Amino acid sequence: MSVVETFYDVIRRQGITRRSFTKFCSLTAASMGLGATGAAKVAQALETKPRVPVIWMHGLECTCCSESFIRSAHPLVKDVVLSMISLDYDDTIMAAAGFQADAILKETREKHKGNYILAVEGNPPLNEDGMFCIDGGRPFVEKLKEMASDAQAIIAWGACASWGCVQAAKPNPTQATPIDKVITDKPIIKVPGCPPIAEVMTGVVTYILTFGRLPELDRQGRPQMFYSQRIHDKCYRRPHFDAGQFVEQWDDENARQGRCLYKMGCKGPTTYNACSTVRWNNGVSFPIQSGHGCIGCSEDGFWDKGPFYERLSNIKQFGVEANADKVGIAVAGAVGVGVAAHAAVTAVSRVTVKHDDKAPPKG
Amino acid sequence: MTRLVVGPFNRVEGDLELTLDIAEGRVAEARVATTLYRGFEQILAGRPAADALTIAPRICGICSLSQSMAAAAALRAVSGARPPPNGELAANIAHAAENIADHLTHFYLFFMPDFCRACYADAAWFPEVAARFKAVSGAAAQDVLPARARLLHVMGLVAGKWPHSLAIQPGGVTRALDLGEKMRLIAIFGDFRAFLEKTLFAAPLEQVAAIATPEQLDDYAQGQGDFAAFLRLGKSLRLDELGRVALPLISFGAYHRAQGALFPAGLFDPRAGEARALPVGAIGEDVAFSFLHENSADPAQAVTLPNAERENAYSWAKAPRLAGEPAETGAVARQAVAGDSLIRALIAKGRGIPGGTHVFVRVVARVMEIARLALAAEGWARELRLNESFSEHAPAPVRGAGIGMVEAARGALGHWLSVEKGLIQRYQIVAPTTWNFSPRDARGIPGPLEQALVGVETGAAGAKAPAIQHVVRSFDPCMVCTAH
Repeated sequence: MSVVETFYDVIRRQGITRRSFTKFCSLTAASMGLGATGAAKVAQALETKPRVPVIWMHGLECTCCSESFIRSAHPLVKDVVLSMISLDYDDTIMAAAGFQADAILKETREKHKGNYILAVEGNPPLNEDGMFCIDGGRPFVEKLKEMASDAQAIIAWGACASWGCVQAAKPNPTQATPIDKVITDKPIIKVPGCPPIAEVMTGVVTYILTFGRLPELDRQGRPQMFYSQRIHDKCYRRPHFDAGQFVEQWDDENARQGRCLYKMGCKGPTTYNACSTVRWNNGVSFPIQSGHGCIGCSEDGFWDKGPFYERLSNIKQFGVEANADKVGIAVAGAVGVGVAAHAAVTAVSRVTVKHDDKAPPKG
Repeated sequence: MTRLVVGPFNRVEGDLELTLDIAEGRVAEARVATTLYRGFEQILAGRPAADALTIAPRICGICSLSQSMAAAAALRAVSGARPPPNGELAANIAHAAENIADHLTHFYLFFMPDFCRACYADAAWFPEVAARFKAVSGAAAQDVLPARARLLHVMGLVAGKWPHSLAIQPGGVTRALDLGEKMRLIAIFGDFRAFLEKTLFAAPLEQVAAIATPEQLDDYAQGQGDFAAFLRLGKSLRLDELGRVALPLISFGAYHRAQGALFPAGLFDPRAGEARALPVGAIGEDVAFSFLHENSADPAQAVTLPNAERENAYSWAKAPRLAGEPAETGAVARQAVAGDSLIRALIAKGRGIPGGTHVFVRVVARVMEIARLALAAEGWARELRLNESFSEHAPAPVRGAGIGMVEAARGALGHWLSVEKGLIQRYQIVAPTTWNFSPRDARGIPGPLEQALVGVETGAAGAKAPAIQHVVRSFDPCMVCTAH
């Protein structure tokens, strides 16, 4: 493994054609919203920059992030990204085992000091001196700190690494703790979701490796290009919400007509993620399309925001875009079912009025 | 006697550590430790019963739909909901897709790469196998990953998102499929069949599913395809003598329909060669060597509380026992219980060895199951009646207790639930790898893997001996499910 190798060298070595490579560049540039010259920029960077090693570590987790990642949309995206990051170290799919694996970890750390990206899936539990997650005979939290100290930046994959996720749910028996509470001196990009969408994951990795820096982040540390809109903003069922047409029971007549799932507990109005645009399983669908509400799995603290099957009672406003941003911020304050019900009624009457306005004069 | 610690294990889900006592180049004693604990059973208590559907599946990102099916089944057992035929069919289709995907991942990415190690370089089969299966660079991954991703479009159509789908409910599924989607399902299974018939089996699925005796399997092994390649190397390495264990095989039953399950629940004892009904009431969990406080052995009564200081403890996993005895679960158990004559023949006693499972049959059962399931799922997709309901209204349970029993890819999965005033009072999960990778119990009886490792030859390679890897991986462990 030569240090001066470029991404392109690695990609070609993996048997990927030039044509596939350029296709990958345009696909990725498009998914990252890089505009007309984006593809050329991505291609140039990959051809000239030395390959940045990526170390992928697993803490307290369920492996759903890896599972999502290896099924990204274009088979090529997966291939290219896999060759790019080359998985110098990954617990789940790498070839080496045991002591040999730990040796690779140590070697990468020394050889690429200050240069590698540390991708973390899961988080460290801090109770009982870290005993709830032992990796290679010692607490994961130690391994994490050690590897983080020489990393260039850290990717926090998924809700576990970003926020804590279900294992941090009350009473948080193991004191599962998000990465940014343990590592405080490194740039951290949070890619929340349980799991995150595959294309969002590959998009983030490609951006970092292509441009050598983190994409623009929002105040919570998430990449803006994927987390700046609510599920609700781009939901294909949104017109039914605005019209006050709701599903009342699974697979009822309203459900068959694809009406809004708000009354079934959908958290789309308070959740920032790309599910309603990028979608899941190669763009086939997403939870709302499967007839189930969004549970808000990319939001901090979603695990303790149940019941999941009762309507959100704390939305301040909807149907009116001016307050869209406030919705996300205001979720902590409970406002009451009455407001929501009232707003729904308002939305219905608004549509009715509009309809009346537009009705052509008869006779 | 030397003591070796093997870990971290890659290419298994989650963290695993083995402690092996080696004497005269063989494993004399093995201890299997699950080194990860999150406390789901503690977290679930006190929450609204239906929220189990969103929290419990997050135990595992690999078998999340099986966890989801078990949670829905447990709620169903309390509320008495009964899904309509479409609800059962759609859930079975999604469940089959997940289990097939798991079997494929195991065979291609987790199990076979170990045969590409340098120590096998002199074997006649090596060049062919290494070119196909070597980790990261092998050609097979290029074939299998796209096919697997395409198969998992099924999850998109039926369940929205995967992992951690939400569509499975006690009363059925939330997604009513339309004609276009039914056609897409049929097309996906058609494409997947093409992949199987070209790459994995190199033979029509019907022909593979009809293999009923070891002799027929030997004939098939002379042909093309990745499965045949495995069968040949399995013979030459005598994998049927490796990792042997003689314990009851249990299955909780999978792919239920009104007319019965495709793979029924039950127990098969390879020592006696006989099948019995599964005594569900005889299931208990022992914590003598677990980092947990002593508690009721009955999953319906138990409360899980960690005790990191516990003396002699070495694993976060409990030790499930059936009438006080360890049991093995997984595809081999499922197929033996279902009466598959090939699998029963492969585990039968012979030539002075008692009946039992081994590395070879565990893998054969898994791959054969891919053929059976792909055929069944194709049929289920065609059976969907689009003008009928996919879900019955199921009121949230208020009070009562029930068990949700399903088969995950790796074997028997049970959720024991009790509800009081609409809230979860107790929740206990016994996962497949909890059975297979259980620690010792109060009587000192080792778990199935601990037994299977005894006698394995390590030679000069010690902990690096590939035989250890083969035995461990033949169970297809899911460590995140094991201790949850």
